[in-house]
Amino acid sequence: MSSTSQKHKEFVAEPMGEKPVNALAGIGEVLGKRLEEKGFDKAYVVLGQFLVLKKDEELFRDWLKDTCGANVKQQGDCYGCLREWCDSFL
Amino acid sequence: MATLRSKSDQEIRELLDEYEIKHGPIVDTTRPLYEKKLKEAMAKDKKVTKPSSDKTFYREEQEEVTYVTYRTPVISEVPSGDGKPYMRSRPEYSERDFVDDKLYSRSRPEYSSGRQYVDEPHVYNTPSYSSYSKPMPVVKAGGVVVKEEITESSGKLVPLWIQLLVFLIVAGFLYFIFINMESVESNPFNRIQ
Repeated sequence: MSSTSQKHKEFVAEPMGEKPVNALAGIGEVLGKRLEEKGFDKAYVVLGQFLVLKKDEELFRDWLKDTCGANVKQQGDCYGCLREWCDSFL
Repeated sequence: MATLRSKSDQEIRELLDEYEIKHGPIVDTTRPLYEKKLKEAMAKDKKVTKPSSDKTFYREEQEEVTYVTYRTPVISEVPSGDGKPYMRSRPEYSERDFVDDKLYSRSRPEYSSGRQYVDEPHVYNTPSYSSYSKPMPVVKAGGVVVKEEITESSGKLVPLWIQLLVFLIVAGFLYFIFINMESVESNPFNRIQ
């Protein structure tokens, strides 16, 4: 992924704190709502899932697809966003 | 297989390791994902075992072809009148036992030992007898030998496209002459007037 969105840049620029789940790159309104219904109401909960999956790309993509129906691009954006955030702050 | 749902976390973990699936801890949120992955891996396992049996089938077919290619040089030796009695006795075996599959497996090591370097000169010999004299072995021998015969025979005759090209050149040449003839004819006509 050579180009990153504005959302991605904003997210990885600072600690996520209490940011909502749709602050994540690739997660819009629809996907955000689906994640919230499953209990992932904050970005840090999704981060928790990301870490529990050992930051593995394939596992995280599969999980995201199963949980909220994200397509390949959305999966990639979300994964890239979280991975970069972890590189900076974890 | 028992339902994955009923298995304990430890059992799921062991299954994941068995299928060499990368995984993290089995938690509430990760368990359904791992169960799905195991289900896919199990289904894939069943598919993998099947095609291997097809491969053995192909190998047997290949072996049959090699039997056949070794046979034809043996037959060509009979008309050549080779002075070796040892070789003359061989084609008798192969022709008599043409249908018998057992002899194929027995005679194969015999063929392979002395045949390999003998095979090549006989490939050149067969077209000299002309492919017409041996319609029977060609048909029975199968695809491999027939291909050889065809390529050998086409080397003797002129290829079709060359024939067409020559025809066109000759036709064009004659036409050119005809055109010139016409102009010659018209000249005396002008002179008279």
